[in-house]
Amino acid sequence: MDNEQFETLLSRTLKRRAEAPEADEAAAERILKRLSGRLPRQKISVWRIPEVLLDWQFAPAWPRVAALACCGVLGFMIGIAGLDRSTDLRGAPFVISNSGDLGSVVFEPEPLTGVRP
Amino acid sequence: MDDSDEALMAQVARGDESAYRALTRRHLPAMLGLARRVLGNAADAEDVAQEAMLRVWTHAPRWQPLAAFRTWLTRVVVNLCLDRKRRRPWVTLETAGEIVDPAPDATEKAEQSERERMLAAAIAELPVRQRTAIILTYSEGMTNAQVAEILDTSVSAVETLLIRGKQNLRARLSQKIAQE
Repeated sequence: MDNEQFETLLSRTLKRRAEAPEADEAAAERILKRLSGRLPRQKISVWRIPEVLLDWQFAPAWPRVAALACCGVLGFMIGIAGLDRSTDLRGAPFVISNSGDLGSVVFEPEPLTGVRP
Repeated sequence: MDDSDEALMAQVARGDESAYRALTRRHLPAMLGLARRVLGNAADAEDVAQEAMLRVWTHAPRWQPLAAFRTWLTRVVVNLCLDRKRRRPWVTLETAGEIVDPAPDATEKAEQSERERMLAAAIAELPVRQRTAIILTYSEGMTNAQVAEILDTSVSAVETLLIRGKQNLRARLSQKIAQE
């Protein structure tokens, strides 16, 4: 058997065996039936969340709207709970430290004239 | 409406079950046939095809359209087959000959059919990667580049697999002809 005859035989044999037998159709039906039930949870990568936020497109898409809403709610909750107070000292735009030695030296203006030391 | 594999896969990624079922119905028979030819076992092929189709659903949100969907799915099926082959040896089922036609050229047909049967048996005995490369090339009509992508190897490695596979087949076929 020469090369060409061998290639033809190989091709014909595999093509003939590729034709779906009836058993394959029955198996396909069984699989489809099994898959028609409840499907498992899809795997969503956590690393895709920043991607969704950084993917700037000015078309409405619910993941971006949801992410924006979540950020808004989170900011509101932080503000309400006062979690940001420790970094935002009340009435201290000119005071870096209240500890007397340094705070009195730096940036404390004169109450009436507003002159800085 | 765009009903290409990639468009359907984008819908599946958003959790659309009807798109998933359409995609499954489209590709399941071919993937089942491929698994059966690589594994040589109908029951295992059914398991592999089901697992592959389930992966389409679960992995859809992570799927990136870097390659054609069909190539990706073939790769999933082939990898599942290779995993299964590592765990279990091959069991041949394709030993039955075909019914001989009582026409004037029946002898010739019977001889041809006998050769095909012997060749199929020889393919079944090949190492799994050589067999997979031969099936994907000759049965699925894939290019060497596509086979390389599916087997996660280089084009030259696929060429080597094909050459060695065919050499093996010729040797085994002549051995079988000599035996009978």
